[in-house]
Amino acid sequence: MFNEDTILLLYEITDVIIAGLSNGSVYALMAIGMTLVYGVTKAFNFAYGDFFNMGGYFAWILIVGLGLQFGGYITVLIIVLPLLFLVGYGLEKFMVAPLRKRADWENRVMMLTLGLALFLSNLYMVLFGTKLKSLPPIMDGILEIGQIVFSYQDIMIFVLSLGGILTFGWLLNNTRTGMAVRAVAQNPEGAKIVGINIKRIFASTFAISTVMVGFGGILLSQKLFINPTSGGSIMVKAWVVTAFGGMGSIRGGLYAAFIIGMMEAFVGWIFGMSYTIIALFVLLLATLVIRPQGLMGKGA
Amino acid sequence: MKLKQMAAIIVIAYGVLAVLPMFVGDIPYIMNILIMCLIWAVVASSWDVIMGFAGIFSFGQVAFFVMGAYCSAILAINFHIPPVFTIIIAGFFTAGMGVLVGLPCLKLAGPYVALVTFGVHMALQPLLKGQIGIALGSGGALGLLAIPPISIFGYTFGTDNIVPTFYLILVISMACALTIMAMVKSYWGLAFLALKDSQPFATSLGISAFKYKLMVFAVTSFLTGIIGGVYGHFYGVLSVRMLDLDLFSILMVMILAGGLGHFPGAIIGSFLVVAASELMAPLGVYRAVTMGAIVVVLVLALPDGVMGVFSKRLNNHAQKA
Amino acid sequence: MIKVSNLNAYYGQFHVLKDVNITVEEKGVVVILGPNGHGKSTLLKSICGLAERITGDISLNGTPISQLPTEKIVDLGVVYIAETRELFPNMTVLENLKLGAYSKHARPFEAQNLEKVLDLFPRLADRRGQMASTMSGGEAKMLAIARGLMSNATFLAVDEPSLGLQPNLRTEVFNTIQTINEQGMTILLVEQNIPQIAQLASKIYVLEEGQITFEGSKDEAVSDDHLKEIFLGM
Repeated sequence: MFNEDTILLLYEITDVIIAGLSNGSVYALMAIGMTLVYGVTKAFNFAYGDFFNMGGYFAWILIVGLGLQFGGYITVLIIVLPLLFLVGYGLEKFMVAPLRKRADWENRVMMLTLGLALFLSNLYMVLFGTKLKSLPPIMDGILEIGQIVFSYQDIMIFVLSLGGILTFGWLLNNTRTGMAVRAVAQNPEGAKIVGINIKRIFASTFAISTVMVGFGGILLSQKLFINPTSGGSIMVKAWVVTAFGGMGSIRGGLYAAFIIGMMEAFVGWIFGMSYTIIALFVLLLATLVIRPQGLMGKGA
Repeated sequence: MKLKQMAAIIVIAYGVLAVLPMFVGDIPYIMNILIMCLIWAVVASSWDVIMGFAGIFSFGQVAFFVMGAYCSAILAINFHIPPVFTIIIAGFFTAGMGVLVGLPCLKLAGPYVALVTFGVHMALQPLLKGQIGIALGSGGALGLLAIPPISIFGYTFGTDNIVPTFYLILVISMACALTIMAMVKSYWGLAFLALKDSQPFATSLGISAFKYKLMVFAVTSFLTGIIGGVYGHFYGVLSVRMLDLDLFSILMVMILAGGLGHFPGAIIGSFLVVAASELMAPLGVYRAVTMGAIVVVLVLALPDGVMGVFSKRLNNHAQKA
Repeated sequence: MIKVSNLNAYYGQFHVLKDVNITVEEKGVVVILGPNGHGKSTLLKSICGLAERITGDISLNGTPISQLPTEKIVDLGVVYIAETRELFPNMTVLENLKLGAYSKHARPFEAQNLEKVLDLFPRLADRRGQMASTMSGGEAKMLAIARGLMSNATFLAVDEPSLGLQPNLRTEVFNTIQTINEQGMTILLVEQNIPQIAQLASKIYVLEEGQITFEGSKDEAVSDDHLKEIFLGM
């Protein structure tokens, strides 16, 4: 019924879809981290993508640089995620928080984090060279279901990012601190009144978003490479997903991430990878013109 | 700051630069640096007016600069139009692009504007490198290598006669600076101050934030496009590497060093930072890292830049007198 | 219980409170009257650690609290109940109440206080699953007071509880405040010009242009012609 070319094409399309799904899951992780930090602290983090790379480089140092033998990626996560938390917490506490006193602090935070982005990306270049680094897959082998081939790596990336998101969602809805985070997002003054230490919530939220994007970096850098200067485009991608899904909407971010993951995989397959950022940009403009509040956003 | 003080600072800053060729006119390396000072002063001031004065968080200024440079160069190379005209066309082209980007942006909240304009910046490089760019004559990843120099009535301004070229660019740069000053100090400027003070009140006076912001976008894009064209014809080569974050960051440092929203601080910032950057050349690969760190430190420690320090002095002095 | 001495408060460039001195006795109801925009809310916020910038001394049972962050003050049992609706709009009534018990010293009493509060405001019990943003003005006011009570406070600073309420609801709110006071709560209350509230007061202060211009008992206030005319409407 089908000739050989058609069948090959179908296989290719299946591969593209799988790639879209596994990338999309990581984008969801990143977008939710961004929605969170912007929704709660109103600070825009231009160095967001560089924390993605920070996760990647930390993992690379442990696995490739130090030749970690014990526990593989489990050890990496146990060491790197708390480290990223500390970095994010410190950044908010010592750099972002002091700026909040100024009337135009939001703009100044953008400049600050932009400076940080430049600092980090160039620091990566100095420390690790311009050559791209690669991470070994989290799991080798493939899973064949009928004619369709999944790599365990893709499956693990998908499972771990979704697991991360679900855990985070659960914490947000079921813990005291999670409730405090939502309270600050909805009404910072009200949060202060009931005795929530909003400074600590700001710093923690910033830290959690750093962990989320860094975790994304550890997962996705196995497939892409770690590129010292890619922070800007990663940040733009996370922000487009966030804007497309609707600021402040976790569910919107989730849907948007998969739509964009798919879109990117198909655009990359048909037109070449360099066009994906243009496609993203077009999507962003279309979103802002047609539905500025995004897919699931509540409006301004 | 009063108009007189502003004008005095601009004249003094350019005046100091204008006498330097008497001492260093025969050292092409230094003359090159001085010309860079003049060019970046315009880009940094335009950007500063957008961000600091109009309060629009645009990250598209480098993109506009590159658009202007490519537009002028492509027209001169492919259509053999004299650079004097292509530069002006580039100015209008870039102003048009500015309005095009500004239209969707100006109704959005700060971080969205930053994102869209940064998106323009990010998308421009693959666009110029790819098939579309090559079809337009961008030269792809290689860039443009043989851009004709500016020539007026048969007299060519190029690297061979760098001192006259310097003065030509000085005149253009200063004209741009004075245009910005006129804008900041005009009725528009007052409108902006009113908008900053109280948007509802200003709106009730019939001041439309949107209209003024769009105009500032257009004017600064125009100036940036013009100086971008000048840059291309002076250097003779252009590449998409200008869109790497190095240039972006160094311009940011210039604005912050001068004092965000403290025009003409950005002009002084540009002069200082170009010089500092040359002094930092021995740092090699660490230079860019240092630049990033300087941005962070400036935002935290010197929020109003040298102009902040300067105007504080001025105020203290005035109070004592 | 609360002693405020030489309190000055600033909002941006404005000098809102000028050398204010007030005392609130244990289990008392102190009412601060005064025109709008003369610093009444700022005074309450200063005590609760919510003002922008203050100088002077505030002490709670002898312990200085003026330099403590808000969360520490809440932990000591001093709670602000807002004039404006500082609730969490996209959370349920129950979640809002639970957040009221966020401070460390209130946590162990969360269940107990919840029961007490729902007893006091049966209407909130019916609506525990409803989003705070969908409540009426009167209900939101009740929720604000209830949320304050969840903190296990011993001192409540209540900002214009009658603002925007219809007369019958006002009476209900005032009755509730009286009940809370009878149960042992110390209350500092701000009102603009409601005669009703004067009936509750153990002491009245008048705050005009950032300064205390009158201090005295309910009876003294009633016999003061200036006050009678302007604030008590008698």
